[in-house]
Amino acid sequence: MLTNNVFRQLVSRAIRTDYLENLTGFAWLILQPLVLLAVYAFVFTTIFTARVPDSGAGGFVPYLAVAFWPWTAFSEAVLRSSNCVSANAALIGKVAFPSELLPLSAVTATFLMNLAGYLAVLVVLQLLGTPIHWLGVIPALPVLLLLYLFANGLALFFSALQVFIRDVSQILPPLMTFWFFTTPILYSSSLLPEQFATLMKFNPMSWYVERLRDFLLLGNYDLSPYDAVVPVLTVIVFWAALRFFRKFSAHFEDFL
Amino acid sequence: MKPLVRIRGVSKFYPRVHRPRERLRAFASLMAGSRIREGAEVLHDVSLEVTAGQSFGIIGENGAGKSTLLKILTGVISPSRGSVEVNARIAALLELGAGFQPEFSGIDNVRMKSALLGMSASHLDAHMDEILAFADIGDYVYEPVKHYSSGMVVRLGFAVVAASDPQLLITDEVLAVGDEAFQKKCIRWIESFLDRGNTLLMVSHSMYLVQKLCRQALWLHDGRMREIGDVFPVTQSYLAYSEERTSAERRHRREQSGDSGLYRIKDFALPDQEGERDLVIGFGGDLRAELVLHSPDGQPPVALFGVMRADGTPVYGVASDFDEIEAEKLDQNHFRFRICFDQLPLLPGSYSLRGHAMDSQGIRLCDTAELRFSVAGESREMGMIRLPHSWNGQE
Repeated sequence: MLTNNVFRQLVSRAIRTDYLENLTGFAWLILQPLVLLAVYAFVFTTIFTARVPDSGAGGFVPYLAVAFWPWTAFSEAVLRSSNCVSANAALIGKVAFPSELLPLSAVTATFLMNLAGYLAVLVVLQLLGTPIHWLGVIPALPVLLLLYLFANGLALFFSALQVFIRDVSQILPPLMTFWFFTTPILYSSSLLPEQFATLMKFNPMSWYVERLRDFLLLGNYDLSPYDAVVPVLTVIVFWAALRFFRKFSAHFEDFL
Repeated sequence: MKPLVRIRGVSKFYPRVHRPRERLRAFASLMAGSRIREGAEVLHDVSLEVTAGQSFGIIGENGAGKSTLLKILTGVISPSRGSVEVNARIAALLELGAGFQPEFSGIDNVRMKSALLGMSASHLDAHMDEILAFADIGDYVYEPVKHYSSGMVVRLGFAVVAASDPQLLITDEVLAVGDEAFQKKCIRWIESFLDRGNTLLMVSHSMYLVQKLCRQALWLHDGRMREIGDVFPVTQSYLAYSEERTSAERRHRREQSGDSGLYRIKDFALPDQEGERDLVIGFGGDLRAELVLHSPDGQPPVALFGVMRADGTPVYGVASDFDEIEAEKLDQNHFRFRICFDQLPLLPGSYSLRGHAMDSQGIRLCDTAELRFSVAGESREMGMIRLPHSWNGQE
């Protein structure tokens, strides 16, 4: 299958250029998230002595870690892929292939790499004495898959938009930072005043991080009908973004 | 039979998008589904049908829209108007190293390119040795492509395309980059590719190559179709057109240089030529030429004639003093030379005949004029001239 093979090539290429081209190679991939986690542990437990009410048995560091890596995968994927169409202008103007493979492969590469780091972090947390609910991995996987789909949707939308409006690559990073702080990653939404906590329910990312914490840290597998909202929204976002991308990809070459 | 490629009424319009405001306006028009007004039309109402086994040459000046047309045919860009229908496995060699990423090694780029050409991983593995042998760049395949010479990039690109077993090969002016030996290898490959019943579409500025490889030609001029049909008439009218342009330039130059040249060409003609079209002689026919030279001091000048292939390769040259020929004196200052090449052994193709004015000692070349002619006929012989020969000792 043509697209299949091109997609595989693009993913392996992205992984090699972005992650494995440096000296430490694959080791760095596992090491980097662990070092980062150690830094966060020091800052938030020794300097700030942060406490969250529903952190489970392990305290703040596991609470942060379980939400932080999926977020990093998501935001890195969206940021990286936002300019992937114009970065590959040379390919688009000269070779006929479905150009949506560019953002999709960038997102896939980022998720694969960060998920490897996520797994390493979970194992280290367990070794350091935090009980990880490994059974929770089973419901966590579809959540991560949906997160991947959500990232793909945004990547398709922004990478197409960026061809026409170059400013997207400037606007997106602060937007993602804003999104990071309005998502309960460093804090718990139960700490917020009532009106903000309600507002936060409209942020799809809070559903993602809170479900992952429920499954992996607390072993809480209860779901309500409301938990269907974000998955449905995710699928709609992906579908609409793919349509948007395909509609405008015919004009990419004119604008590159 | 269903055509491999059929395009109808294709136009391509590029919106002007250099400044951010222009981009935004163009994007807004796209969103609203209305037409973008500012921009340039590079192709206008082009229709073309290519059936299996044909070989099409696309010719024209720089900026005539040839490359844009190829891009539309390969599906790299979509036309602004008109329809494109493709029913074949296409492999395109559009630009030097298209789809090659300079940071990656040759092998990695071969993998990517073959994937883009629709080859499966197992097909590639089976053909890898063949590709490397065809490209013939040795251990360079393990180096990043950015260290390659442009010729090496073309070698590798062509080798992958050759291995992908296309039905329709589309090439832009890329073969010109490789060295002589590799060009010949590619041409041989294309010839055997055509012999297997496949189809070729090529853009080239070398009329020699177009006439050698193609049977049909399309002449694009300012984004429009100027002429389409059999390769010989189309290439000849294109050559006549560009000859006219260059000779207009040359006339201009000569007027500027004034009368300072001592011996000048007064008139140079092929008497068998009819009207404005280039002379066409049959294979083995006679080529007659007439050259009238102007001599400022009444001394008889020397005339030099040279026959060249259309690409400038010299075939034969002879001067009047070699053969100890005296000029016909027309008047005090004008001398006429007439020459006839009997039973011209030139193989079918495009050639030109040059006439030169030299001083009376035959040392200094003072003036040059050139006329084109072609030899008609069909022959599978190679080279430029037919050498007399016999086989197995038979008479």
